[in-house]
Amino acid sequence: MPTAKLWLIPLAVMLTLAGCGPSDDQSSKAVTVKWAFFLPTSWDPVTSRTGNDINTISLAYASLTRLDRDGKAEPSLAKTWHYTSDGKAITFELRDGLKFTDGTALDAAAVKSFFDRGKAQHDSFLKDQLEDLESVSVESPTLVTLHLSEPDYQIPYLVAGRTGMISSPSAAQQDLAKLSLSPVGAGPFKMVAFVAESYAHFVKNPDYWDAANIHIDRLELTVAPDPSTLVAGVLSGAIDLARLPAIKVEEARANGLTVTVAPSLQALDMSINLNKPPFTNPKVVEAFRFAFDPQEFLKLLTNGLGSVTHQPFPTDYFAADPAIESLWSYDPDRAARLLAEAGYPAGSLELTITTSTANYGTAAELAQAQLARIGVKSSIRILPPGSSTMQSVLYIAKDAQIATDGTIGRESPVQNLLAVFGPSGIMNLSGPHASDHFIKALEAVRKTPLEDPNYLPRLHEAVRIGVEQSPSDYLVSVPWIIVSKPSLKNLNIQPSQIRWEGVTVK
Amino acid sequence: MSALYRRPSARFALVVLAGVGFLAAFGPLIAPQDPLAQHMGELLRGPSPRHWLGTDQLGRDVFSRLVAGSTISVLAALQSVLIGLTLGVLPGLLSVFLGRAFEWLSLRLIDALITLPFLVFAIAMTALLGNGLVQAMFAVGLLITPAFYRVSRAAALSVANAPYVEAARLMGATSFAVIAWHAWRKVLPALAVTTAAMTGACLAIVASLTFLGIGVVPPAPTWGGELASELKTLYDRPFGPVAPAFLIIATVWALNALADAMRDPPGVKP
Amino acid sequence: MSMNPPATLAISHIAAAIPSAPAIPSASEQKGSVRVVLGWLLSTLAIILPVFLLSTLVTFLLGAASGLNPAAGMAGDSATPQLIAQINADFGLDQPVLRQYFTWIGGIFQGDLGRSWFNRVPVTELIGQRLAVSASVAGVALLLGIVFGTAFGIIAALTQGRWPDRAITGVASIVSSLPPFVIAILLIMLFSLWLRWLPSAGYVSPAVNFRLWLALIAMPSIALSVDVIADIARQLRTGLVATLSENYVTGAIVRGLSWRRIIFVHVLRNGAGPALTLLGMKIPTLIGGAVVTETVFTMPGLGMLSADSALRGDVPIVQGALVVCIVFVLTVNLFINILQGTLQPASRRR
Repeated sequence: MPTAKLWLIPLAVMLTLAGCGPSDDQSSKAVTVKWAFFLPTSWDPVTSRTGNDINTISLAYASLTRLDRDGKAEPSLAKTWHYTSDGKAITFELRDGLKFTDGTALDAAAVKSFFDRGKAQHDSFLKDQLEDLESVSVESPTLVTLHLSEPDYQIPYLVAGRTGMISSPSAAQQDLAKLSLSPVGAGPFKMVAFVAESYAHFVKNPDYWDAANIHIDRLELTVAPDPSTLVAGVLSGAIDLARLPAIKVEEARANGLTVTVAPSLQALDMSINLNKPPFTNPKVVEAFRFAFDPQEFLKLLTNGLGSVTHQPFPTDYFAADPAIESLWSYDPDRAARLLAEAGYPAGSLELTITTSTANYGTAAELAQAQLARIGVKSSIRILPPGSSTMQSVLYIAKDAQIATDGTIGRESPVQNLLAVFGPSGIMNLSGPHASDHFIKALEAVRKTPLEDPNYLPRLHEAVRIGVEQSPSDYLVSVPWIIVSKPSLKNLNIQPSQIRWEGVTVK
Repeated sequence: MSALYRRPSARFALVVLAGVGFLAAFGPLIAPQDPLAQHMGELLRGPSPRHWLGTDQLGRDVFSRLVAGSTISVLAALQSVLIGLTLGVLPGLLSVFLGRAFEWLSLRLIDALITLPFLVFAIAMTALLGNGLVQAMFAVGLLITPAFYRVSRAAALSVANAPYVEAARLMGATSFAVIAWHAWRKVLPALAVTTAAMTGACLAIVASLTFLGIGVVPPAPTWGGELASELKTLYDRPFGPVAPAFLIIATVWALNALADAMRDPPGVKP
Repeated sequence: MSMNPPATLAISHIAAAIPSAPAIPSASEQKGSVRVVLGWLLSTLAIILPVFLLSTLVTFLLGAASGLNPAAGMAGDSATPQLIAQINADFGLDQPVLRQYFTWIGGIFQGDLGRSWFNRVPVTELIGQRLAVSASVAGVALLLGIVFGTAFGIIAALTQGRWPDRAITGVASIVSSLPPFVIAILLIMLFSLWLRWLPSAGYVSPAVNFRLWLALIAMPSIALSVDVIADIARQLRTGLVATLSENYVTGAIVRGLSWRRIIFVHVLRNGAGPALTLLGMKIPTLIGGAVVTETVFTMPGLGMLSADSALRGDVPIVQGALVVCIVFVLTVNLFINILQGTLQPASRRR
């Protein structure tokens, strides 16, 4: 039948063309990396409202300083810096000839402009971190001084993160709203395309001060796919690098992909809001200290690759206080007893656990089951996906009794404590609650130079006080688990973020 | 109805449906384990005497979850069909008898419902109104109303023009009673076919919605939700997706085959 | 001869109801009758316009019924009741519902679909960025559906009763029961995980890289088209089988006309009616089914945009996306009605 053969033609054509699949990376000379991760809550560091954004925003922006492999502050936009003897002012010397991607100069005036905006802009999320900053003065085109109200030796670390990511003042003046959709910085890459909630494409920025160490011409950032198709995505070339759920490590390795497990500063917790009943009752808060079994969380979320922690960073981090680990332990009977004493006998307490699918999907169901064991009934509320949905509900509205959350860490431990326990801390679900004791302890740490023998003890004490006064319970620390195609070499995975200097593609 | 038993595919479909119905009705009673109980020492195990289909990521017995999920999924599909029936049948019948204005308006409303993109609108409606299974069922029920409207309208149309109706009217029987009696006899078989087919369609849609995580209230299991989570753990449980997929496909197929059998007169080759 | 379609096409019952435009005047009728054409145009509009208004009203009421407001999505230091009230007023949400609807509809006719509550980007821009993706997948799926559906339908009708017919009908029956994501997952497992022929996620414009575009939309469009192929094949087969047994076909065979002429000139034209109507029915399904394939294949399309925005409560985007779909469906169905009118002169006689 002549007609029967007709339909073979389109089929053959499609299969032939499709079968010569994704070979085009070799045909073009540009080195491209496809990174499946998150999209930031905002491309403007001043309005970015979650710590995780450090990974994505640092594609377009460079900060005044940078952390090296050991976690010490090293030069970035600033060549050197020094404090005055009383610790109340710090002067940064910028490199010469720095430029933003819009061509304007990155000089001391631009730095001043950025910090002024961070302090004054009505929707700035840098305000509490810049609380100590009184004023910024420009000594010369490359010398800028930060004047502090109190001595604060954390500044070099603070400005290694989003707080020091200098954005172009002319871009901010021309169209502030556009800056949150289209970044203008002096970072390793320059954005060329952005579709909200979908992808962002970057090309190498030749004016980046460290451009010699960037060996990638084009970086395509997309949202992470469904975990069930993640490995297939990397195998088929749709994705080059992504975070991998712990249970998929074996599968990825069995398929010949590179899996990197690197230390991180991430810690997961059950955030509790003591401004909402039943947690307005301190006995209930105390009961919950013994309600969760971190070992089960460890198994479920990290498949044994992580570690238990009761503070907002892994226990081998220098700021971690070992004494905190022995404060509480899993004791369901004690928890049930405390609840009964608080007026909630078994079966009478009902809660809603708020969770987001983005990070800790099944953790909420585990918490639900563990709570059931101590006689607490709970239902799960899943916050929808989106680059800023969870942040709007949890960090701004603080509209939850108890939630699964976690911190990705910060460049400065004081900044980390401020973010998780501080009165304006975005991860402090009980905000603005923060004991005076804690605030004073934190101030004491700030005033202590890093080389001072009192620094570490004061830091540990501040951590301990912070953990004790916060109702939230930290449970496990998760390392970076990264899957990548084998041709990606020299991955630059630092504890506080993923970076791209030094990464090569064979 | 006896014609049904003559077709082998229909007989097989009835058996399948009886099985599913049994699971849905008595599931929670016969499930060997608590579908919500987590056994943290036995994560992602394969089939064993204790766990007939193994355990999932949280150590829960998969077989019990699927059985419990049957109730939820089947009930959800039936609820949507009920809503569609309620909203569609009466207006469809009345559209023939209540005058031009009502007919025109109802026809255009139904057209409007058809024009809406089904799954997108169902998701939008569910999500915007609270993202629970109840909202999902109402959304799906609303969107299948046109099918029931059409069927009852077609039946009523054929009756209204039939000569025996005119004859009955001439003989003095009140118009409404006559038409109602004849219309009902015509509508019922057609409705049965549509109901069966729509139940199948609703089941598939419920599976799609719960697969996407819409209308799912954890930790309650649903067929679609279980399929989604099995796919996440495919490497450790390569045959995991088979059971929920089979349940969905078999039930939908059985309902469609049943509807086919009811529609075609006996002796007609499929 | 019974032309009953299989039950899975139950929804095709209502196919005939889709903005059924009145018959198009044939060439002979058109002689000097501009009035007739105008009459046709007006009666078509008399149906399509109310349907458009009603479906957009339902869409709009959905947003109003949700009780959501933009203040929930906008960051601010503190959301005081006054601030919320002010934000609502900015967006015109303090007006009575019906007036809001008319403002919104008025905007639509000017091409303005509002702005996202979350990032203030115009909805038309957001949709435009993703339209190409959905259009590619749905378009190719439609093409595959028509080509293969027709082919299989013809083969099944011509080999009625023998094994090709049984095979096609049987497979089609099973395949129709498969939810779209099952096929999508199977395809990924086969082509991405096992064979590693095709990438499993993402999208690229055909202008940028045609081969990669084809590779990326191959699986999603196949997954979407399978259901269409199955239904069209079965519907066409039934219609053709009926037409093939008509007297004039026997007459044509006796008179010695070639098979090709018989099929394409006579049988297809007359037997394709229901299948064509079914096609019009399937197009909304293609748009809707795209949601699932877009999620599974992580493609930045319209379906995923609608689903994510609905979950987040970004009402303007949801409403805008639905309106785009509605317009698309109405346009396509109008086209199908015209096609039916020209293909089958007999159907024009009412």
